[in-house]
Amino acid sequence: MGKKTAIIAEHHNGEISTVTYELLALAKGIQESEAGDICFFILGADTEKPAQTLSTRTGEPVHAVCIPGLAQYNGALYKKALSALFSRTPFDYILAPHSSSGMDYAPALSMALGGSCITGVKDVVRTDGALCFVRSLFGGKLSAKLTTDTGPLVLTLQPGALKAFSPEGKSQGPNQVSNQGTIERSVLDITDDNMVYAGTKASPSEGSDLARADVIVSGGRGIRDAQNYNHIEMLARLFPRSATGGSRPICDYKWIPYSKQVGITGTTVSPKLYIACGISGAPQHVEGMKNAGFIVAVNTDPDAPVFQIADVCIVEDLMEFIPFFIETFKQKRRKKDERNDLGESFLA
Amino acid sequence: MKILVCVKQVMEGESPVRVHDSGKWINPCASARFEMNPFDTYAVEEALQIRENVPGTLVHAVTVGPESSRDTLRRALGMGADEAVHILDTGTGYRPPFLTASWIAAYAGGKGYDLILTGIMSADEMNGQTGPMIAQSLSIPCASAVLYEKPGPDRTHISIEREIEGGARDMFEVKLPCVLTLQTGINAPRYPSLSMVLRARKKEITVIPAGVFVDQEPGLRLHSLYSPQKQRKGILLKGTMEEKAKQLMDILAQKALLT
Ligand SMILES: Cc1cc2nc3c(=O)[nH]c(=O)nc-3n(C[C@H](O)[C@H](O)[C@H](O)COP(=O)(O)OP(=O)(O)OC[C@H]3O[C@@H](n4cnc5c(N)ncnc54)[C@H](O)[C@@H]3O)c2cc1C
Repeated sequence: MGKKTAIIAEHHNGEISTVTYELLALAKGIQESEAGDICFFILGADTEKPAQTLSTRTGEPVHAVCIPGLAQYNGALYKKALSALFSRTPFDYILAPHSSSGMDYAPALSMALGGSCITGVKDVVRTDGALCFVRSLFGGKLSAKLTTDTGPLVLTLQPGALKAFSPEGKSQGPNQVSNQGTIERSVLDITDDNMVYAGTKASPSEGSDLARADVIVSGGRGIRDAQNYNHIEMLARLFPRSATGGSRPICDYKWIPYSKQVGITGTTVSPKLYIACGISGAPQHVEGMKNAGFIVAVNTDPDAPVFQIADVCIVEDLMEFIPFFIETFKQKRRKKDERNDLGESFLA
Repeated sequence: MKILVCVKQVMEGESPVRVHDSGKWINPCASARFEMNPFDTYAVEEALQIRENVPGTLVHAVTVGPESSRDTLRRALGMGADEAVHILDTGTGYRPPFLTASWIAAYAGGKGYDLILTGIMSADEMNGQTGPMIAQSLSIPCASAVLYEKPGPDRTHISIEREIEGGARDMFEVKLPCVLTLQTGINAPRYPSLSMVLRARKKEITVIPAGVFVDQEPGLRLHSLYSPQKQRKGILLKGTMEEKAKQLMDILAQKALLT
């Protein structure tokens, strides 16, 4: 008998979230070392459509658990339902996304089941005969391999860390497999008055024009002071169709409005060019900009994780480099203008 | 209301981190500086703001850590906490959040706390597990990533907003007592004034050796700790600042991104 892996599917408005397919990639990674069955669990008030999608796209068995009162994520209901399910049918590994919901229920679930929990997992490897899960510490400056002897192990997977599973092994996103997975359906009529959903408020970044810009120049905590954001603005002005953005902390400090926040809890952007200045490259930020066509990073710390995803890495103090770059560029432009005699000022 | 705020001492963000020779934990270098986990400063601030609005509120701070982590409790007292409790852990290796949470829950259980607040995660280990696990240990509800809270007039519930992907917020009515883990930006944490710092120095801090709590299996084992390989996909510009500026200009021109 092999080890059993459960995947808790994430879905919104009837659509399966990408991270769910990344979880399948993690499950397959576990399976390579420890052969065993995989089963999806999908919870919600209306699970039929996402369950169908999952089973046709992955070929894995799906257990759709209809909970009438669960139209929106509710931590109390999730924990109650999942601990009941997994107490009845034990699994060795329970995989959840490291999302706002997964982070919320996974630690408690592991405790309810008498198991262990690892959050923010990036990868699975076999080292010295032990199955180890890799995660980042210290803002990505260190990595740790963690392992456990006491099951079940509840894991949350960092979105974007693994390539989503797709039937042909292409990175394009899942299509269809030849054999549809079985779907088991059940209804769980539970309620919980510990936590009652009272509505959802729109994001302050809704309608932000960041998503439309061709070029985004963003500042992070490395700008050190609100007024230094003018370096970011001046650099952005060199580019047509550009916008300025920032990391979450500088929005928290009220240096810039939340509508300019890039990342998972702000706006997700994919401009042609993204210039990250004084941003360390935390996964929550990177998830929101890694699909940019070209990424330039300016940071004083040569080990900053942002350099792992940048196309051009510049180890410099942004406060010196940006003004210098702007000046150099303007000089070059002036020379060019003189040659071509355009007679037109760039900064008009 | 009686509020317990969980705080942790972490190395300052820009201090270099090196792996201990054993590969089993970190070795802070002599120049390393420590501070209260920045995420926890929001929790202390929020508790103090509740105290300003709800007469009779008491704010207690608790930390789990070595002798030196008492500074973080001093900081919490300096910000305005009424009392502080140090769960002293003299171990030097890796301590999974399960143990931290179990000890805090063992301490807090039966003491009548209406609200337990934590930061959303710690800046060093980034687990985000301690708060949710304390709640589970105490069998009370928990909401994470909270950006707004307001206790109801009858003190049986608290209205909260928790942040979800894209920055939208789900609103809930949560039964008290409960645990909330707070997302950054919920408030602007205060700096302790000099007079408060002096007052904090004189305050008695309760110390409880972690050994008094029931011995528990940590569950997780740290296999190893290492600096991740640099998987740089791009190029690193070399030379003087002038040369770097010129190279960047050429690259952007080539890509027709800056002309
Ligand atoms: C649930 C959750 C959701 C989150 N969502 C988001 C999100 O949507 N977006 C987001 O951005 N963050 C988000 N965060 C926060 C995230 O984890 C990081 O804390 C944040 O991204 C760090 O911002 P930063 O890079 O500006 O600051 P830091 O990590 O402090 O980095 C500052 C960087 O500036 C560099 N620096 C310092 N001085 C200079 C200088 N003079 N010149 C050049 N470089 C310099 C430093 O070397 C450092 O690398 C979220 C966190 C959580 C827990």
